[in-house]
Order: sequence, then C-alpha cells, then structure tokens
Amino acid sequence: MLQRFLDPAVLHGISSLDLVAKTVVDGFVAGLHRSPDFGFSLEFAEYRAYAPGDDLRHVDWNLFARTERCYLKRYRGETNTQLTLLLDASNSMKFTSHAVTKMDYARYMAASLCYLALHNQHDPAGLIVFDDEVRNYIRPSTRQGQLYRLLAGLEQAEPAARTDFGKPMRHFQQFLNRRGIVIVISDFYEQPETIVKAIEPLRFHGSEVVLFHVLDPKEIYPEMKGPAILVDLETDRRLEVIPDYVKTEYRAKMDHHLEQMRDRTQAAGMGYHLLTTDKPLDRALTEYLTLRRSGHTSGLGGA
Amino acid sequence: MGFLAPWFLAGLLAVGLPVYVHLLRKQTTVPRPVSSLMFFEQGTQSSVRHRRLRYLLLFALRAALVLLLALGFARPFFRHKSVLASDKLLLVAVDDSFSMNAPAGASGTKLDEAKRGALSLLTAKSPGQKAQVIGLAGQMRLLTQPTEDMSQLRAAVQGIGPGDGHDNFGELGRGMRAMAETVHTPMELDLFSDMQESNMPGNFADMVMPGNVTLVLHRVGPPAATPNWTVESVQAPGQLVDTKKARVLAVIAGHETPAATRTASLVVNGSAIATKKVDVPANGRATVTFEGLDVPYGESRCAVRIDAADGFPNDDSSSFAVKRGDPERVLFVHQASDARSPFYFGAALAAAAQASFVLQPITPEQASDIDPSKYAFVVLSDVPSVPSILENTLIRNVQDGGSVLVATGMADSHREHIPVYGGNVADGHFYARGSAEDAGFATVGAADAAHPSMRDANGWQGTKFFYAAAVDPGNARVVARLGDGTPLLIDKQMGEGHVLLFASGFDNFTNDLPVNPAFVAFVDQTAKYLSGEERMNGSRVVDSFIQLRNPVNAESGAQRKATVDIVGPDGKRPLTLKEAAAAESFQLARAGFYQIRFANGRDALIAVNPDPRESDLATIPDDVLKLWSGSTGTGSAEAATESAAPSENNVSSLWWWVMLLLLGVALAESGLASSYLGTQREEL
Repeated sequence: MLQRFLDPAVLHGISSLDLVAKTVVDGFVAGLHRSPDFGFSLEFAEYRAYAPGDDLRHVDWNLFARTERCYLKRYRGETNTQLTLLLDASNSMKFTSHAVTKMDYARYMAASLCYLALHNQHDPAGLIVFDDEVRNYIRPSTRQGQLYRLLAGLEQAEPAARTDFGKPMRHFQQFLNRRGIVIVISDFYEQPETIVKAIEPLRFHGSEVVLFHVLDPKEIYPEMKGPAILVDLETDRRLEVIPDYVKTEYRAKMDHHLEQMRDRTQAAGMGYHLLTTDKPLDRALTEYLTLRRSGHTSGLGGA
Repeated sequence: MGFLAPWFLAGLLAVGLPVYVHLLRKQTTVPRPVSSLMFFEQGTQSSVRHRRLRYLLLFALRAALVLLLALGFARPFFRHKSVLASDKLLLVAVDDSFSMNAPAGASGTKLDEAKRGALSLLTAKSPGQKAQVIGLAGQMRLLTQPTEDMSQLRAAVQGIGPGDGHDNFGELGRGMRAMAETVHTPMELDLFSDMQESNMPGNFADMVMPGNVTLVLHRVGPPAATPNWTVESVQAPGQLVDTKKARVLAVIAGHETPAATRTASLVVNGSAIATKKVDVPANGRATVTFEGLDVPYGESRCAVRIDAADGFPNDDSSSFAVKRGDPERVLFVHQASDARSPFYFGAALAAAAQASFVLQPITPEQASDIDPSKYAFVVLSDVPSVPSILENTLIRNVQDGGSVLVATGMADSHREHIPVYGGNVADGHFYARGSAEDAGFATVGAADAAHPSMRDANGWQGTKFFYAAAVDPGNARVVARLGDGTPLLIDKQMGEGHVLLFASGFDNFTNDLPVNPAFVAFVDQTAKYLSGEERMNGSRVVDSFIQLRNPVNAESGAQRKATVDIVGPDGKRPLTLKEAAAAESFQLARAGFYQIRFANGRDALIAVNPDPRESDLATIPDDVLKLWSGSTGTGSAEAATESAAPSENNVSSLWWWVMLLLLGVALAESGLASSYLGTQREEL
C-alpha cells in the first residue's frame, strides 16, 4: 500500500522533503520484505585474523578464550559505504511536461537515497550540488543531523546557470578521499564522451559511479502539432523547429544519444540508468542497494 | 503629374490584403522552453517565416504589386514643357482679301509684303517641322497639306494672288477650332494680314483660337488707317426699257477722309456718258444721281467711278449690268365677264417704276394656242377652267422654268381642280357674311417678308379680304396668311419654275387690295420675281452665291437636262461640264462681270463688286490684337488657364513604365515566394 507513494506525482503533493524521503524509503523497504532476494540485517559474515592496528573492540574475545588467537568478527552490516550524491542543478532541470520537474524528481530521489543510506544503512552520505560550478557541498557523514543538512541542501538547490561537468568534477575529486558510491543525477545534455571523460576520474579512487539520467518523457518523445519557437532554458537561445523534424530527426538523435550514454558509461565501468520523471523512484533505490551489496561483497577484503 | 482615370486609385485600398496576410494574420506562437537545443535544428516553414523580418521583403513586394496595379489603371501621366520644335505644326495664313491689294509703299501691295513675310518665316523654320499654308479671302482655304517640303510650301505662298473677297477672322477662328478637333499636336498660327477692323466678327468669341493653337500676328501695311474714298453702292435697274426714265443712284463714301469734292462718272461699256461733282463730307457719305441711262439695246457693262486719288484705287469704281430691251409681255387669262381684274392688274403693272412689262389680257378660249414661253409669266385670274392644251402647255412651261400666277377668285369649279397648281379648294371663306364679332372682313395676319413678292408688305396690313379660298398648301411655301390662318399667298415650285397662288381675286370684289397702294408694289415685285428679272439684277457682292437651277423637285421628279454656262470676268468658264450639268448654285468669287446662262435658258449679265467693307482700311487696335493673340484657349481667364496648358505642356503617359515596373516586381515576388516554398518542400 505504501508503494503508491513511490509515484512522483503523489510525492509532488508532499511539501516536506523529509517526509517524502521517509515515505519513499518506508514504502520501498516494506516492499522489499516480500522479496527473497534482498536482506540487509546485521548478520555475521566472517572472521579475520587480527592485524596490528585493528580496533580491539572488534576482537572476538570468546574465540580468543577458546583458541588464544585474536580474530576479528565481521558482520555485513558493519561494511559502511560512503554515498556521495552529485546533483545537477542547472536550468535545464527545470523542464517538465507534467507536475514534476526533473529537478523535483532528482530531489526526491536524492532525498530518498540519503534517508535510506543514513537511516537504514548507517552509511555516511554527502551531497554536492553543481551546475557549471560547485554550488553546495555537504561532506559525507553519519553524524546526527546529517540527514537534515542534506535535505536542507536539497531544498536550497534551485536550478540556475548551465551545466558544465568538467569543472565541478575536478573540484569534486579534491573532496573524494574515500571509496564509496558516487551517484550523479543529471539530464546529461552534453556529448557522452565529454561526460564520461569528466566523470571517469571519480572511479580512480575505487568508487562505484552510477549515473542516473533523469529525463522528462516528453524529452524522449516530444509532441509538436505545429511549427514552434523553442527556447533553450540554459542559454536562452531561440530556434524555429517544425514538427516533421521533431518526429524524425530529433528522435533519432535522442535515441542515439541515449545509446551512446549507455554504451560509453558501461564501457567506462560506470553504472547508467535512464529514469523518466513519470516512473516510480524505487528503481533508483534498488540500484543503490544493489550497488551497496555488491560493494559490500567486494569490500569484504578491506576496511 | 496627374491621372487620366483617378477613380482607379480606389484600388489602393487593396493594399490592405497583404497587410492582413502578413501583419494582421500572423500567428502569435508562444515560445516553448526546452531543456536544451542540443538535438534540435533550424526548421523552415512559411507560417513561421511570416513572423520574421525577412518576410517584410515579401510583404513589401506584394504591397508594391498592388500599388503599381492601381497606379497602372489610374493611367498616370507627366507634363513637361519641353515641346520639340518639330512637334509643332506651323500654320502660315496669308490674308488675300480685297483690301490687301492696297499699296504698302514702294515695295508693292500689302499682299506682296505678307507673302514675303510668310516666305521668310517658312525659310526660318526647322527642317523637320511640318507647315501648312492657308488663304483667308472669303473663307479659310487650306492651300497645302501639312508637309515638310519647302518647295511645295513656297510655291503655295507664291501662288497666292490678289483676291476680291472679304476676310472674316471669325471664320478663321471657327476653322481653327474645327482643325483642332482632328489635329491634337500643338500648332502655331502665323497670320499675315492688314488687320482690318471690318474683318472682326460681331462676337469676339468667334475669333478665339483653340487651346493647342498659338496665334502669332504679323501686321502688314501702315498701322494707321489710310484715307480712302470709294463707290460704296450703286442702285440701277437691271432691265431697261425707257432710257430716259432710268436713274442711277451711287453712294460715295469716305473712310478716314477729310471733306472733299469728288468727281463721279457714269461709265457705259467703257465710255463715260455723264460726270458729276459731289461733295463728300469728312469721313462720311454722299449720294450722286445720274438721270437717264443711255445704253444700247442688249446687255451693257456699266460702272460709276470717282477720281479718288487716294491710297487704294481699286475700289474707286462700282460695276453694274443693264439690259435694255422691249417691254416683256405678260399673259393675263381672265373670264370674259371679268373686266375689272385685267384693269387693276394692268394699271398696277404700268404704274410700277421702271416697269418693263406689258399686259396682254385674254380669255381662256382665246388662249388655246398660246405659247407661254414667249411671255414673261402668265396670270390665271379667276379662271374656272382652262383648255387642257393650255394647261398642259403651262405646266410644261413651268417645269422648264416659266412662272404662273393663279388667282382663285370665287369660281366653284376650283373646288375640284385648280389649273396648273394641281390642288383644289377645300372650302371658301366668306368673311363679309361672318358674324359681327368677325368685323365682316379678314386681314393679313402673317407675311413672309423674305419672299420677293412681299418685300413691301407693310401696306397689306390695312387690306380687307372678304373672301378667301381654303387651299391646302402641302409642301409649298406659304408666303402670307390671313388672320384666321387661311393661306393667302402660296409659292409652289414645280420643276425649274414657280406657281404663285393667290387665294382671292384681283377684281376688287373679294378684297380691296387692287385699290390699295400696296397692290402696285406687290405686282411690281411679283412680276420681277416671276419673270426672273429679280435674280438677274445688275450687281452682286464678291463671294455671294447665285442660284443656277432649282433643287430637284421630288414631287415632280424632273430630271435636270439643261446645263448652265458661266463665263467669268477673266473670260474663262469656272465650271466643268459635270458641274455645269449638276450645280445648283455658284459662288461669285471674283469681281467683274459674269455672263451666265441659267438652266431655264435665260441669259444674264451680272456685275460683281468687292465687299464695300473692304474699303474701310481702319485697323484693329493693338490692345484688341494683344487680347486676341493672348486669348488662345477660351474667352474666360479660368478656361484660358486650363486650356492653354496643353499648348505649352507635352503630356507623357507613364503607363508603360508603371507596367514594366509592375512586371519586375511581380517576377521578384514570384521568385522570392517560390524560394521560400521550395525550402519548405525540401525540409518536408
């Protein structure tokens, strides 16, 4: 029942971003219980031999008493994954063909991910809002009040200026000093190779990078009854377009662009997901958990 | 700049069509925001382009198309004053009237001076300019067609000889106005004349030239009037029986002359038979009378001459012709019981001054074998019936040019048939038996004074008529009517002759005309008219017409068989054989004696004198001439301004230029519009 709140149109009626995130995650989590494929309680994972420098608090003293050897007891839930959200707040995110703009959709998704990470997974979560500059940066943390700082940051993220991936990404690399999950939420109106070239360095620190490509459904399948003048929301440039072009050329170019995005990001080892603003948010959360799980598995040897 | 059809300018309102299409009907599309124009490209479609600035070019072309179309139909034209000299027709008018024969100094006559001026003007004209020579004596004569041939023009001027006619500038004005209706190019009329004041018409407006004629006046001869004495008129009998009773009356006139004594001579066949001194007052007239005119039997050429010794000797004599012969007989047919009619008619005929007729009374029975052609005319007085052989002879005689006077009287037989006349009496009006309101008698109500018999009709007013036959005049000329409208005197033309019907009698019973003094004048005038003496009077004026034969009588259908014969003053026959067989009248164009044989076989010698107005050499004042030469157009100043414009301005139509421009704009509009449409098709 709570899953209906995953619908962006329903979430649009909720003014509080906190409540939106809570609604989404609770509904999402409740839905997960019915699935046998997912589970994330604090369950035992393995023992690892003590190494100098390890936290003594994690030593299994019962085992030490029996074997007189120091082993560290590790649980799955103890594998913290730093979540860093990169939110595109350029003007193009204001576009919508229905109630929810791409920016709103991105906010809901970011808020839900933050809530899920902090509240449910106890993972540090951070936020970087950018357009052609880094406009807001909230360091990933699990401290109390982090969720509200993130939500406030999301609330303040209003679309402005235009998108430039290069500069914010270089700036972001300065803040990235720990592996984790990096989620980039944008409409990615840029050449795929440029995007990949700008984002790819984030993986060099071992982080998992996922691109959430948020688009309005009308951007993929635009409708135009007659000739119209189109205004670019970022550059304010005007262009005369006729319907025949939109029906044929535009769709071909858009399909090619999406295909290029998917191929190039996957080729670069990055995750890519196309999300339209009329679809529920669970897909994003599922992707996050999937990544976290895989990251947890891959991270067993470390930390 | 003007428009020949300005109403078509209303078509300019059609400019609203492209304005509506381009400006008012444009689509107000709200720009649609998109995230990025990354995947969009410029699309061209006409409905979008209408809003664009470049479409204003198409709009301007279409608006210009409508404007030029409206302008083209409005027929714009442009006036420019630069008229080429070769475009203007040069009209050289030379006055060759009688007064131009006056000496103009040592160099010759005025006509010689005018011809020299005309030749110099033609020599000075530009080679490509067309010119035409006009003569003015009598009536306007075009001596050449418009031509550039100098030899032809020069020959026409040199061929102008001294004339005897009278010039009238009103005739010149009318002729030029008629010419302007067919010739629309500018014309320059150069008039060489002595500018006689007598040449001016009574109405100055008759002289005014049309709008495209520029009048240039060239006065020849002395500007001031030359003193001139002349024999203005001569009154003499045309036919003469008794030379001692004949009397010649001449009027000697002086124009701009002092009081002087002139010597007047009566010349018969070149010999002066009488001379008299006459005192002519200053700038006035005097009459000289010659008693007795001793001329031989036959026709004599006479003249009255004066020793003027003035500057214009050509008008010092006035000619007239006199024919001396035995008295002509008049056949008077009457009833044997009627002795009063021949008595009264014969007395009146004998009492007429210079009468040359002898009455021969006869009864109808005696007139059976009479040849009417031997009589001047025949009178049928109250004859109820005439022998058919006589009537047929009379009718034939009338058809050939004879004349009959019929007095109906009270004979009842006329109710069936009036001899010779052909009609019948419808009714008889006995005015003496009328009511008291009718006062017992009738009087003449209307008389045609233009008829020769009624020239002295004043005495008829007191004549009492007690009976008049009511005759249907038909197509005949009613010369006089009674007060109740009953035709009294009817002139019916039959063939070459006349039948004069008097609807009453000459017996003093039916009226009191025979005892009225007017009866003598009536008989005298009627006798002259019916005998033909009236038209064979001794003198005429140059340019007057003389009737050679009566027009074809449709009623009789008579064919003219006899030809006329005219010998001019120069001894030549001016008529061709064809003209002689058909001409009804002849214009006496030259001064001198004309020997004429009419169609009815009668011979006449007619003297022709120049118009006496030509002897007054007073010239038109300069201010009048300036007014005339400056009044080309119309009399009023307003109209002169309006009509003088075409004479100076050359109108060029801009229609072709507008149409060429329209074609260019249409091609440009088509090309531009098709280029837009072509782009659209390419994108589709």
